Amino acid sequence: MTDFKDLDPVLHSQLRLAVISLLISVKDADFTYLKEKTDATAGNLSVQLQKLKEAGYIEIEKSFRDNYPLTNCRITKQGIKAFELYVNNLQSYLTIKKPSR
Amino acid sequence: MDTYSEKWSGEESLAIIQSMIKRARNEFGENGHLYLIWGYVVLICSVVQFVLLRFFRYENHSLVWMFTWVALIYQIIYLTKKARKRKVKTYTADTIQQIWMVFAVLMIMICFILGFQLKGESVRLYAPVILCLYGMPTFLTGRILQFKPLILGGIICWLLSVLSLFLSNDFQILMYGVAVIAAWIIPGYMLKKKFNSIADD
Repeated sequence: MTDFKDLDPVLHSQLRLAVISLLISVKDADFTYLKEKTDATAGNLSVQLQKLKEAGYIEIEKSFRDNYPLTNCRITKQGIKAFELYVNNLQSYLTIKKPSR
Repeated sequence: MDTYSEKWSGEESLAIIQSMIKRARNEFGENGHLYLIWGYVVLICSVVQFVLLRFFRYENHSLVWMFTWVALIYQIIYLTKKARKRKVKTYTADTIQQIWMVFAVLMIMICFILGFQLKGESVRLYAPVILCLYGMPTFLTGRILQFKPLILGGIICWLLSVLSLFLSNDFQILMYGVAVIAAWIIPGYMLKKKFNSIADD
């Protein structure tokens, strides 16, 4: 039986979940793209990306393009597994919750 | 997203996942530009070669295809510039890129094999084989993008490939032009229109 608190705390944050949901759908994405799609502020997004990186869920590649810094992100295998587990747990949580409504 | 509260429901989690996946899926990066460039280049080469061969009996009629090198150089510059501006790479775009790379490799290899193995006898084989090849990436790209004009264009290439078996050498060459009108030029304009309408939204 899945409890709401069993959901992965790294992914159970609105912005981190949004980032992972985007990265699972594309091969890679840069910081600007993630910022545009999530409507997040640059500061908050930076912090959350760092947390995802520390958890091993994403890879961050920093480089330069036309003298401007470029941050490219992609989901790791560990990140895909964590996302799948999160969705499965969420599904069972919602299934359990439904009859009691 | 910064108006984020600690207490949120499972339904909200699901809504975030759905909305982000939908936003990423709406990435339509194909503007039809290269389809139009290559379409017109092949069309011009095909018509010019046909005219040189049929009306002028010009011996070096196939030299006109050297023009494709210009298109190739343009393509490399265009794609390099596009890659610099790229914010995201989708699996769809990546797969389509691989398909067109395979097409380019197959084109070079098959033309080389036909020329090497059959020498002058291979002339009548080029059009049916190349038209067959044109159909493959066009059809697959159409399937991946779920874009019917490209699917239809691919099928037309295959039909023209069969038809070209029954045509004389000069009309075989003209079939390249007909093929690219159906497979690249018309779908290219439609892709451009679709891309612009999405960008305007």
